[in-house]
Amino acid sequence: MIEHLSAEQVSQWMIGERTPQLEQHVEECAACRGELAQLESALSQFRTAMRDPAHLAPPPEWREPAPSAARLTWPRLVLAAMALAVLLAAPVSWRVRAHERALREEAARAAQADSQLLESVDSEISQAVPEPMEPLVTLVTWNSSSPEPNQKAQ
Amino acid sequence: MEPSSAVDWMATAVASSRELDDFESVVRLHWPKVFRFALASLRDRHAAESLAQDCFWKAYRARHSFRGEASVATWLMQIAVNLVRDRARDRRWQFWKRAQATAVDAAAAAAWIRDRGASPEDSALIGEQVRAVWDAARNLSERQRTVFLLRFVEDMDLLEIAAATGLKEGTVKIHLFRAVQAIRERVAK
Repeated sequence: MIEHLSAEQVSQWMIGERTPQLEQHVEECAACRGELAQLESALSQFRTAMRDPAHLAPPPEWREPAPSAARLTWPRLVLAAMALAVLLAAPVSWRVRAHERALREEAARAAQADSQLLESVDSEISQAVPEPMEPLVTLVTWNSSSPEPNQKAQ
Repeated sequence: MEPSSAVDWMATAVASSRELDDFESVVRLHWPKVFRFALASLRDRHAAESLAQDCFWKAYRARHSFRGEASVATWLMQIAVNLVRDRARDRRWQFWKRAQATAVDAAAAAAWIRDRGASPEDSALIGEQVRAVWDAARNLSERQRTVFLLRFVEDMDLLEIAAATGLKEGTVKIHLFRAVQAIRERVAK
């Protein structure tokens, strides 16, 4: 028979470790029942005070965070970097192509001008008498029997 | 594990995971529990509010990794316990705690017990009991206090406390035993 519950046995009781021997003693001993009741009451009042909603801060309004900020993962970063690289490279590539097109057009124009010049030179070279002297060819007929102009004058 | 209990476990896990889909409801439902644990641990309203917000923010970010092995409430308390532990080890927090203006003292905690028709004598006695427990809890170690609050304020059983704290059940029992001894000594004075 236990005389009274020790401090350890009271604590054991409170955390739920109740042996038949302890239960029998508590049933028979008013002093120990009183001590346990006082401790149980204090813990119960503390629990009630802590759970009183009056002093609890209300929950804040929950807003779903922006997904971009919340899920900036490595694969997404790599994809974003690739997209940025394409965006940056596109104007450069377009400019290079435009420049090449302009060069090609200029070369074509130069080639056309050259061919026109060559044609005109060819046509000039193919004439036996230069164009300004052509009337002389048509108006003056060479006669071998007639005297030389300088001989006539003598 | 019996087939039926495996099915039950799966059903519970799926239900717990689905609970996180509506996170606004999760915040509304579990905020009081997380906040009062933070308040009783840190004894500062602003710090408790900040910690509770951190807790839900961490839970939101980790919601896809929640496997439903424990209930959502236990999982949230696990995050809150870790945050309180980190805060207790933060030397800056220890410094500011000494000069805080929003600290909750024992008298304020005792005043939380509102008049429920008790006589002035009974109200005074109840206030004294609450003050004694609040004071005693302050002097507990961080682990003892955590275990004590989870058991006697949040009504969690030893297994749930073990899951929330990451301690073994036997270790939880030892911390709880020492905490109750310290509370008993203060209440009996």
